[in-house]
Amino acid sequence: MNAYADALASLLEPTALLCFVIGLGLGLLVGVFPGITISMAVALATSFTLTLEPAQGLAMLLAIYVSAQYGDRIPSILVNTPGTPAAVATTLDGYPLAKQGKAGVALSVSAIATTVGILASMLVLVFLAGPIAAFALQFGPFEMFSLVVFGLTVIISIASRSIAKGIFAGLLGLALASIGTDPITGDARFAFGNNELMGGLNFIALIIGLFGITEVLDQVFTRHAHKVRPISSLGRWWPTKRELAGVSKPMAQSSVIGAIVGVVPAAGGDIAGLVGWNRAKAISKEPEKFGKGSLEGLVGADTASSSTLGGALTTTLSLGIPGDSVMAIMLGSMIIWGIQPGPSLFERRPDIVATIVLIMVFATLVSTIISLLRVKTMTRLLDLNPQWIWGIILVFCIVGTYATTNNVWTAVQMLVFGVIGLVLRRLGMPAGPVVLGFLLGPLAEANLRRAMLIGSPVELLTRPISLVLLLVAAGSLLWPVWKGYRDSRATKAADGGVN
Amino acid sequence: MQRRTLLLGVAAAALGASACTTRGTAPTAAPGGTAAPTAGAATSAAAASGYPTKDITLIVQAAAGGGSDLSSRALASAMEPIIGKSIIVENRPGAAGSTAMLHVKSQPADGYTIGFGPVEIAMLGSLNYDIKPADFDLLGQIMLGPGVLSVPPNSPYNSLQEFVDAAKEREMTVSNSGPGSIWEVLGSAIAAETDAKIRPVPFDGGAPAVAAVMGGQVDAAGSGVNEVKQNLADGKLKVLALFHSERHPELPDVPTAKEQGLDIEIGGWGGIYAPKGLPADVKATLEDAIKQAVESDSYRDIITKSGNLVVYKNSADFEAFAQSEFDRFAELLNP
Repeated sequence: MNAYADALASLLEPTALLCFVIGLGLGLLVGVFPGITISMAVALATSFTLTLEPAQGLAMLLAIYVSAQYGDRIPSILVNTPGTPAAVATTLDGYPLAKQGKAGVALSVSAIATTVGILASMLVLVFLAGPIAAFALQFGPFEMFSLVVFGLTVIISIASRSIAKGIFAGLLGLALASIGTDPITGDARFAFGNNELMGGLNFIALIIGLFGITEVLDQVFTRHAHKVRPISSLGRWWPTKRELAGVSKPMAQSSVIGAIVGVVPAAGGDIAGLVGWNRAKAISKEPEKFGKGSLEGLVGADTASSSTLGGALTTTLSLGIPGDSVMAIMLGSMIIWGIQPGPSLFERRPDIVATIVLIMVFATLVSTIISLLRVKTMTRLLDLNPQWIWGIILVFCIVGTYATTNNVWTAVQMLVFGVIGLVLRRLGMPAGPVVLGFLLGPLAEANLRRAMLIGSPVELLTRPISLVLLLVAAGSLLWPVWKGYRDSRATKAADGGVN
Repeated sequence: MQRRTLLLGVAAAALGASACTTRGTAPTAAPGGTAAPTAGAATSAAAASGYPTKDITLIVQAAAGGGSDLSSRALASAMEPIIGKSIIVENRPGAAGSTAMLHVKSQPADGYTIGFGPVEIAMLGSLNYDIKPADFDLLGQIMLGPGVLSVPPNSPYNSLQEFVDAAKEREMTVSNSGPGSIWEVLGSAIAAETDAKIRPVPFDGGAPAVAAVMGGQVDAAGSGVNEVKQNLADGKLKVLALFHSERHPELPDVPTAKEQGLDIEIGGWGGIYAPKGLPADVKATLEDAIKQAVESDSYRDIITKSGNLVVYKNSADFEAFAQSEFDRFAELLNP
């Protein structure tokens, strides 16, 4: 406990406090702007924090990391544009809720869900870091492949309306991801001699295009056809007791899901959010509401994506394996500060671990309060004339994606994805599976091929973790089929023919 | 309400201040690129007198926050007082670094656009990209991160020789940070030199490759020193050899490959390059500024702390070295 007292003292000195406040403000801003990712903000701040004391630098970097988790939900819910990749799953139910005039409740519940996720994941960091480090090392290519296969089954439930269309969208994502450099041999694939294509398509451009730009184009082109109801009403902004009670189950479940996904290297908040949403749907009494404005779905997504933070920190600190892209940058800073990550860090430097935990908890609490306070102001933005909103979204999306690489080509990609997204939407194909396929396809391929270089295919079934994950994947594929069969029998039995 | 506005104001100012270091110059850089072919000759003549008269842009091939970025920013801030102008670091990540290198190649050879060139500048030509060291004026090597070979803690091999002998009998899986990476070349170099059978297993980054050795999923891993330093101290892996001419100050007990009878040096080096055809005086000014910056305490401090070695070569030596590396990698990458 002494370590925590010392850490608290080092954080309460003025420079550290100032760093904390600046980081918090930066994070809240960065999250709101689509395209500008948390990693970019942390990377930019790094050039400045390197010269500071570790506690001061960590205060700024971690405050950005935490508070951006709150900002990115806002454009997801209000304008269907994920502020960062971690908020992709937020759009699934957040935006429908806003369209129903429940933007206020959605924003508040999202903030609460995020808070619970981060705080739960801190418990993991404090009490389970040792065993988790050992567990993460067990995650070789075989286990990673099986986990990703499980992740891909989420496509089925996102595509609830038409499984065929969902699978097509998922395959499109997989196909798009195969462009670029082969992960094992390094050969160029589908690059047609183009230097830019050899690097593959840009993930940020893909999500901003498919969600944000598509939404703008859709509204622009449907304006005269049938009037889109403007989302200006804040509605209630505090959830009822019943609503809160209803979301407690997905909240608990998603805390665990996020913690596990966070521990797995190369899997972060984006994947966790989608898996969390999917599992929340599986345990819900009203799964038919998912994707049409379910608070349970919103919580399932947001708690899971935010509770990856603790897991990502754990693997970064205890193994030196960056748990996500932000951690990859922070790792560099920590090494310069003389903090060597490794299994022994928790005994060697309890002061650093305590400092990190305290910053994370403070940043979470302060961000929660600010997020709840600003709900009203944020929703008021939508009272602007729609043309203004479209213009603002377009400008931010273009500037943000350009800034990720300083390359016009990235912004062009985003606009092309916007058009593709519009076509898909008109064909009734969901964008979620495209993102999931794009994200998970390369992980599945690279890990399967690594596994085949290391051992034989049989090991997928003889390694316990891998086997369990594959069984869970099979279960989540067959469950909807069985449920559909059971429901149709029930319907027949009840003699109700109308669908 | 007021406090919130204030807070956002502070943050906005901070964002603006930090953002302009990388993004502020982008719009001016883009039109320059298109005008490059014709403007090249004219600007070089103009630059001959009193260079530099304006800020210099240093293009980094990786995203902000990574190793290349850290080295570049450390050098840039050490060079600024020497050269008397600001050096603006601009990140242009993508396509294995080739995006940045092709961008620099397209800029006028006037000394106002230079780049951080990692070892990939000598590798990409053998990996389907149209890039080779001879495309550029190389101004000086500034750092080196030598490679190591490590094995799981319970591995039966305790020296490079034992490992190589065993690998002649049975093919060994050796993880590395990615296809076509310098640490994949490390394995190929051992195989080429000794007839050991090595099966490369590329991962997505150095840390996951080393984790695969700690988890016992592969027989060995090729990586940089940073990825193994703490894990070696904690007994989570064994380091068999360092692939450098002398021992590493961070790993004093790890013998070099040469000490063990295998004369192989492999490392991720980095240096500064510019579009080909710099005017002689501009080149001399830059070369000298880089040399002085590399010798500065602030630069040495950052490079050493990040687990790398400060290794300097002047322009002529660096060009010869990069060319010999290019030839060697061409054989090792396309056997």
